[in-house]
Amino acid sequence: MSQIHVTTKINGDETEFLCGPEETLLDVLRDHLGMTGTKEGCGTGDCGACSVTVDGRLVCSCLMLGAEAEGHEIGTIEGVAKGDELHPVQKKFLDHAALQCGICTPGFLVAAKALLDRTLEPTEEEVRYWLAGNLCRCTGYDKIVRAVMDTAAELRGA
Amino acid sequence: MRYLRPASCDEALGMLSAPDTRIVAGGTDVYPALRDRAPRFDMVDVTGIADLRKITQEDDWLRIGAAATWSELIRHPLPPAFDGLKAAAREVGSVQIQNAGTVAGNLCNASPAADGVPPLLTLDAEVEVAGPEGARRLPLGDFILGPRRTALAPGEMVTAVLVPEPPAGAVSAFAKLGSRTYLVISIAMVSVLATAAEGRIAEARVAVGACSPVAVRLSALEADLAGRPVADLNDLGLVTSAHLAPLSPLSDVRGSAAYRVDAVGTLVRRALLAALEGRNG
Repeated sequence: MSQIHVTTKINGDETEFLCGPEETLLDVLRDHLGMTGTKEGCGTGDCGACSVTVDGRLVCSCLMLGAEAEGHEIGTIEGVAKGDELHPVQKKFLDHAALQCGICTPGFLVAAKALLDRTLEPTEEEVRYWLAGNLCRCTGYDKIVRAVMDTAAELRGA
Repeated sequence: MRYLRPASCDEALGMLSAPDTRIVAGGTDVYPALRDRAPRFDMVDVTGIADLRKITQEDDWLRIGAAATWSELIRHPLPPAFDGLKAAAREVGSVQIQNAGTVAGNLCNASPAADGVPPLLTLDAEVEVAGPEGARRLPLGDFILGPRRTALAPGEMVTAVLVPEPPAGAVSAFAKLGSRTYLVISIAMVSVLATAAEGRIAEARVAVGACSPVAVRLSALEADLAGRPVADLNDLGLVTSAHLAPLSPLSDVRGSAAYRVDAVGTLVRRALLAALEGRNG
């Protein structure tokens, strides 16, 4: 199978890679680019552990081919913190102990940041709806929801 | 396999004339169905065709391009007759899925539990198809033939979902019953579109999904509802078994056939009350 040359931007950096036509964006991130923060959970778009943004839209990277990234801007968990400075939502996850085993956490953080980039005044129901595509099998949802609500409050200066 | 990304419908049709090709638009149904096997077909990704991504108003028709996503539909300003379709869009999987999956793809996937089909049936939607023989249009009810079966001939592709101007003043709603609130495959779902004047239902359209091989309109019920007082929707016995005769639900892990039929009667009343009075029954 011939390799496809893809030019994209990942977390603001121009990035080029070669991938097979059957490889998912998740495969490319983890296996070719060494960006292992994005996790594979189900591989079928149900669990959200592989959440990334494409041109700001939240999607599952397991349900997207690497080749589909051509010309688009990808955002991953590696781009959420600014250097050593954690994003406010990452800090709140720590404050609220909103993680247990941690496998779902990168996906939750990417999804939560995508929500907070859209609105700083989400209701709890909106947070729960928005994060419904991210599954935590340790079932720590309540702390996660509280961490996101608290981040929103902090960011809007409440 | 190859990954092909045509820039125009003509280019796509040229690719689709070859054997072993599949259209992909978002891939939220195609990729999970592969179950980690490499695809044995060439993938024709139509999301790069700019015209197909658009949602536009053309004369009296709303044109939903075949590559337009559920999220794009949700964001598009539309009158209350489309509230049911938008509510369904918000229940298609997660936000991640709504951002990738397309309205047209939901129809092409032809699942009996496709969320988009009942609301589009109540909107009298049509499907626009392009193929080697030229373009054609067919009513949604004639497009989906059975579970995972559509009227698409080899080499054809859907180019748009077309919705005619809804009746003046029409309202609509969507009611889905699942085992939990989010991310469920329906046990049963109902979409309604209605107009009312002076406390009476003028016209009601009712479609039911997940209770037959293909979602259906309940025409006998629609005929009985026309002219009735809106207050009759509070009557628990309003929807009779005769009205529900077109349904042939399965008994499966999600619910028994009898439960599904029973649920539909309640969902119909709730959806109509929600649409006409903004409340649940």
